[in-house]
Amino acid sequence: MARERVYIDADLLIIGGGTAGCLAAWEARQRGGRDLKIVILEKAFIRNSGCLSAGMNALNMYINQGTPQDYVSYARYDMCGAPIREDIIMSVAELVNETVALLEAEGLPIKKKPDGRYLNRGKWNVEINGSLLKPVTASMAMQAGAEIYNRVFVTELIKIGGKVAGCVGFGVRDGKFYIARGKAVLLAAGGCAGLWRPLGHDDAHHRIWYFPFNAGGAYAMCKRAGAKMVGFDHRLVPVRTKDTYSPTGTLAIGMGAPMINSLGEAFMRERPEYVKLGGHTAPTPIRAWALCQETLNHRGPIMMDTRRGDPERVAGLKGQYLDMSPCLVLYWGCNDINPSMDPVEIDAADPSLVGSHAGLSGAWTIGTSRMTTIERLFVSGDALGAAPSRFISGTWTCGRLAARSILYYIERVDPQLLEIDPDELDRLEVRTFEPLERYQKCTFYTNGKPIEGIIPEEMEWRMQFIMEEYCGGRSRWFHVSESYLSMARKLINRMRHDQLKYLVAKDLHDLQLAWDVINRLDVCQLVIEQINYRKETRYPGYVNRTDYPNVDNENFDCFITSVWDPETDELTFDKEAYEQIVPGDRNEESI
Amino acid sequence: MPPMVIPDKCDGCQGEGEPLCEQVCPGDLMMLDRSVNKAVCRNVGDCWDCMSCTKACPRQAIQTRLQYQVAFFPGKLIPLVGTHSVTWTLIDCRGNVERFVMKTLAGDEEEE
Repeated sequence: MARERVYIDADLLIIGGGTAGCLAAWEARQRGGRDLKIVILEKAFIRNSGCLSAGMNALNMYINQGTPQDYVSYARYDMCGAPIREDIIMSVAELVNETVALLEAEGLPIKKKPDGRYLNRGKWNVEINGSLLKPVTASMAMQAGAEIYNRVFVTELIKIGGKVAGCVGFGVRDGKFYIARGKAVLLAAGGCAGLWRPLGHDDAHHRIWYFPFNAGGAYAMCKRAGAKMVGFDHRLVPVRTKDTYSPTGTLAIGMGAPMINSLGEAFMRERPEYVKLGGHTAPTPIRAWALCQETLNHRGPIMMDTRRGDPERVAGLKGQYLDMSPCLVLYWGCNDINPSMDPVEIDAADPSLVGSHAGLSGAWTIGTSRMTTIERLFVSGDALGAAPSRFISGTWTCGRLAARSILYYIERVDPQLLEIDPDELDRLEVRTFEPLERYQKCTFYTNGKPIEGIIPEEMEWRMQFIMEEYCGGRSRWFHVSESYLSMARKLINRMRHDQLKYLVAKDLHDLQLAWDVINRLDVCQLVIEQINYRKETRYPGYVNRTDYPNVDNENFDCFITSVWDPETDELTFDKEAYEQIVPGDRNEESI
Repeated sequence: MPPMVIPDKCDGCQGEGEPLCEQVCPGDLMMLDRSVNKAVCRNVGDCWDCMSCTKACPRQAIQTRLQYQVAFFPGKLIPLVGTHSVTWTLIDCRGNVERFVMKTLAGDEEEE
């Protein structure tokens, strides 16, 4: 059935109106002048969308002291000294303080010390009242006069002659087929939650740390376009407050609350096996690993001992969580927990794939251009791989830098909009709406379930079941091995090759969920194959290879990248050399 | 904290193209039940608890409830949104009330 179409042409086409996308739009207007046509396609409503929607109480990247080099050294240390893109992190660290000032001028309240300087939390964070972080971020894009299309869900990039010409998608409200072209395309559509089973079931299955509507679209679209992908041999296992999975930096860095086991030991400080790995300031993966070890050795439950924290700051704790994760405050109120009297239970949560937090997943980019290995396709935010610890403030900054690079590209190359073959568009339209069309041909059981099809949530559960059991989920202590991975591969590929033809969507909301499943399954392939390829354990806690438990510097002190071949469905692997820009011991922080 | 809509308070944002909660929900979960002209969360299990809808509701018709599998009944957390701050009221399961005024935007609350 032919659908009504919406054609959009832009100079700069931005997919995803989030942290990176909004600031890219702002920067592009500053540098590109009035006539530059900037378009943002956003799958929700730009003022409230994405992982900032609940707010945040700190910016985790700010150069309070030291230099950008020191920040790179910290990011590298925190990733267990693993290869990271120091060039990219350096570029962000050099500009991040200026970006934070821009957002403050836009109305973001940043807490101050008596001397007027920002109130720091540890070395690299500043405290904010960030419950309106997303509206403030979005206003930067609006101010810039970007043409914003809300509720447009992008399904695929269009590639012509090795270049990306634009993308297609559907209107979540209007059901129209959207075709957008850009002289350059910036993909900034978030990371990927929900590949593994969450702890909460049924009405609590989205009570997870990472934003569940970031479903890997950016990664899947990059992969399907043939871009070189990196960092799926890694995933973030966040240590968070148990049950609500709220952030714990507020407790650990903000209050100085240590993790304790059931013996009351502050084990990171007291047990020699953890002290030798860095103690309470050990790299983030090590702390997740230690929490698991303590539990496996029957010394759980693990708590953060807020009673040992700074009492003045513990008193303000509820307020701080209201700015970011209000459900934790209600959780305390419902469960008789008073964090100044009771320690707060923590847990290692279901893994997430991110590029800008403590994760490495994303597209490989050329130098600091933010261009992928596909011409005209740029990435930023969580879609950009191998450059961790950018967090929110670094992601704003990374968006700005992507815009600068894109404008330079447009000026230098003068790309023109590409003509898209009408047959190709027809094919993409069919593909975009397929699950919806299939549903309309279904008959139904008495309980309303389709007889001939599988609804998105059923397929999501099946995928999560497979990933949990065979690709090292939380209940498997994040352990993987070749034998388990081969089972994950077999089952996930069965879903990808043979089962998607049964996927049905009853309405436009479900069509989004259907595309979330399609995208997540594509990301699963990257995860299984890249974890399998890295035959070592470089990030204990995040990926524990029981068959290769040690670090193998001879073979794997490098980035692992892969390119997907649409003909064979195989990934072609490559190793990219790590370039150390900031000198010094990679397993030490410089300050 | 899935959003529960109190029917006596919700008027479906009459006059708006779509209710404000539907407009803002990042998960596309809030929708208008046309048979009664009131908002409803189409799948409470899919909610991420960002509370955008609860804060956006002009009639305070949306109450956030924690899932019973993780929290006891009947605690409540109610935000009242001002121009530069939000006032939160926490009523725990024992009936204790706490209030928090959190800044949201630079500048001062306007005189009412």
